[in-house]
Amino acid sequence: MKHTITRKEVLNSADYLIDVVAPNVAKRFVPGNFCVLITIPEGERIPMSIQKVEGDIITLYFKKLGKTSRELDTWKVGDSIYKIIGPMGSPPPIKKYGTVVFASDLVCGHAENWAMCEILKKIPGNHIISIQSFPTEADIYPDKELCEPVADEFILATEDGSRGVKGHYLDVLQKLLEERKIDQVFAGGGIPPLQKISELTKKYNVPVYTTVRQIMVDATGMCGSCRVFIDGEQKLACIDGPMFDGHKVDWEAAISRLAMFTTKEAQAMDCLNEKMKGVK
Amino acid sequence: MAIAKRVPMREQDPKIRITNFDSVPLGYSAEEAVKEAKRCIQCKVPLCETGCPVRMEIKNIIQLIADEKFEEAFFLSKKDNAVPAMTGRVCPQEDQCEGVCVLDKTGQPINIGKLFAFVADLARKKDLNEELKIKENGKKIAIVGCGPAGITCAVDLRKLGYQVTIFEALHMAGGVLQYGIPAFRLPRDVVDYELSYLEKIGVDLQLNQIVGQNIAFEELKKEYQGVYIATGAGAPRFLGCEGEKLKGVYSANEFLIRVNLMKAYKFPDWDTPIICGNSVGVIGCGNVAMDAARCAKRLGAKKVYVLYRRTKECAPARNEEIHHAEEEGILFREMIAPCKMFGNEDGWVTGMQMVKTEFKGCDKSGRPSPVYIKDSEFVIELDTVINALGTSPNRLFLSNVEGLDTHSWGGIKTDENFMTNIPGVFAGGDALTGGSTVIEAMGNGRDAAEAIDKFVTGDA
Ligand SMILES: Cc1cc2nc3c(=O)[nH]c(=O)nc-3n(C[C@H](O)[C@H](O)[C@H](O)COP(=O)(O)OP(=O)(O)OC[C@H]3O[C@@H](n4cnc5c(N)ncnc54)[C@H](O)[C@@H]3O)c2cc1C
Ligand SMILES: Cc1cc2nc3c(=O)[nH]c(=O)nc-3n(C[C@H](O)[C@H](O)[C@H](O)COP(=O)(O)OP(=O)(O)OC[C@H]3O[C@@H](n4cnc5c(N)ncnc54)[C@H](O)[C@@H]3O)c2cc1C
Ligand code: SF4
Ligand code: SF4
Ligand code: FES
Repeated sequence: MKHTITRKEVLNSADYLIDVVAPNVAKRFVPGNFCVLITIPEGERIPMSIQKVEGDIITLYFKKLGKTSRELDTWKVGDSIYKIIGPMGSPPPIKKYGTVVFASDLVCGHAENWAMCEILKKIPGNHIISIQSFPTEADIYPDKELCEPVADEFILATEDGSRGVKGHYLDVLQKLLEERKIDQVFAGGGIPPLQKISELTKKYNVPVYTTVRQIMVDATGMCGSCRVFIDGEQKLACIDGPMFDGHKVDWEAAISRLAMFTTKEAQAMDCLNEKMKGVK
Repeated sequence: MAIAKRVPMREQDPKIRITNFDSVPLGYSAEEAVKEAKRCIQCKVPLCETGCPVRMEIKNIIQLIADEKFEEAFFLSKKDNAVPAMTGRVCPQEDQCEGVCVLDKTGQPINIGKLFAFVADLARKKDLNEELKIKENGKKIAIVGCGPAGITCAVDLRKLGYQVTIFEALHMAGGVLQYGIPAFRLPRDVVDYELSYLEKIGVDLQLNQIVGQNIAFEELKKEYQGVYIATGAGAPRFLGCEGEKLKGVYSANEFLIRVNLMKAYKFPDWDTPIICGNSVGVIGCGNVAMDAARCAKRLGAKKVYVLYRRTKECAPARNEEIHHAEEEGILFREMIAPCKMFGNEDGWVTGMQMVKTEFKGCDKSGRPSPVYIKDSEFVIELDTVINALGTSPNRLFLSNVEGLDTHSWGGIKTDENFMTNIPGVFAGGDALTGGSTVIEAMGNGRDAAEAIDKFVTGDA
């Protein structure tokens, strides 16, 4: 199977999107699933959220972070990715919840926001509110990539107030929770805010599903690298998640474990920089 | 008449081999192989063959080697064993063929494993292929999992004329042979070559296909006349003690998958990283523990401890592995059991509290049972902990398949013909037993192939 890149666009100075042919994943994708990429034969198995599926093509949002995502950023339309595997994971129930909020503040969360809102909006009885927050106006994605079309209400926020509502999604949500009845919250993106949103929703007694990103290796349940602790019980993010009831997640452990390989990631970046120098 | 001694196997010097992932045994030369084969007394009743789960014609193969008919020896071994170069290296021969060789009484059984590896290596170097005439029967079989059990079942059924498709979850075939057993025991050119046989004989290998996740099990049942489940037992077990959340704590499977499947020892040329500290504690003393410990040593750890609650004499690891590990400077700490792990403020593991044990009585298997000695706790400083406590059947498959009978521990239930409670669906290998050996899994695969053929042809 050839996973050819058919579109590549800039989202902001750090984020970009690609469309790539992956019929295997497209056919069975349910929001809440993710896929695994191996960009080159020597590559890592990289978990990735999926924003959208159209026919055989899936759309992925990347942040230029480390070796893999930066190297992939130099690829062009027509290039192909070595392997795309999935869909993986156990999505939360796709059903009527009532009034639903999806809140996101980071690349993976924005992708999940779109996918989940799009499907939940189609279910009668759901009212979908999508909140996307960015640090500042310059970071906001192009209009057509924002979740407005897939939500009933859309709230754009910037932390410095340069466009849209001022504040992080946490501030926006807090206001909503005070003013209205919310039945279910979903959230994805940076992990520390996910811990906060779990505390916040707990205070208001509103259930929350959070995407607990952890370092994955096989993503098939055979290594335990992605272990998370849910109400004291060990679960695997790759097969039991990655979306879990935020009120039950051991966030300290999740935050700590996600940073396990930072020294190695920096080393991989140094090597990539060396290699790129050679190219020029 | 005094029996000649085993022709010794030349090996890489321990001081050098701990700096690389190349094969430890260097393999017999043709002269050495012939000399070793000539020691075989060609018993009338070759006991050795009763010890081999796939019933290789050991005696005749050895005779062919003694007669320097290496190619014929290869073809004869290939008849019953699709992967003789691999089994020759990883079978626990002391418990199997060599353990029942009549010469074992003298302490000098024939080195059957190494002889077979020699023949198969030679065939690989010459790319020898047997001529197979497969008469297609137009029937389709699906196999889930491409480890030893799945491979063997696939080869046997293919030879009978079935169209066989193997679905494998990972991006490489081989199961434990690929992701678990390190290259210094099982070089990857050997693995790749023997696995390429599947495609040579026309088995359709579908990688990256996780049955139950990205292919529905129902689909397989509909499209294929028979299904064989050989998904292995790869789900890691943890101690369940305090400190499991800490960074620097791995399951042996994670450690080995990073190193073997993802080639983390070649980081940063390969992308997947691994962090192995200077003071590594491996909990357990089976083959998996030995592999993890020896990998850690090769990744540069100064001190690697194997922490075991019994003595290494009653350990499940093969003698050869323990011997090699000791040569490589792995430190065995026996009669101690783990209690909990400690970490620093950054969340990295810094040590482990252990408790001393003593033997009291025996368990069901006849092994002495260790019990904790009161107030004997002590702390051992470690910056990496690897849990090698065994694994359970892969639950990704099981949790997505409805109506399949399993034991409470996750193993699949079958009747004496390896058929599950779902007609036409068979199971074998570690998914059934919870963990055994490569060759046992292969024997399972062979028996299942026979049963599947009988079932499909209505001969059962
Ligand atoms: C379920 C899930 C969904 C994700 N969705 C997206 C997404 O939509 N867009 C996106 O840009 N990123 C997503 N990620 C994170 C993505 O996998 C990492 O950004 C990627 O691995 C970074 O690789 P790198 O070489 O560029 O950076 P590196 O320098 O290797 O890593 C940078 C950071 O990424 C994380 N990371 C690294 N390796 C892994 C790994 N094997 N598994 C998980 N996280 C890792 C760590 O936090 C690390 O510090 C997702 C992760 C998970 C678990
Ligand atoms: C580190 C280690 C060292 C060992 N050393 C030895 C040794 O020296 N000698 C020896 O004889 N034995 C050894 N063993 C044991 C031996 O490897 C196993 O008993 C044997 O591999 C079992 O074979 P299997 O085919 O049942 O399963 P596996 O080899 O586990 O293969 C199962 C395959 O199924 C795939 N799979 C799982 N779920 C799915 C799904 N849903 N869809 C598709 N595919 C799926 C897996 O990815 C895997 O590739 C060792 C085991 C380990 C872990
Ligand atoms: S397959 Fe294993 S048990 Fe059988 S003869 Fe070969 S080494 Fe011995
Ligand atoms: S039992 Fe030993 S000596 Fe006898 S035939 Fe087999 S290998 Fe040869
Ligand atoms: S990534 Fe290996 S178990 Fe989840």
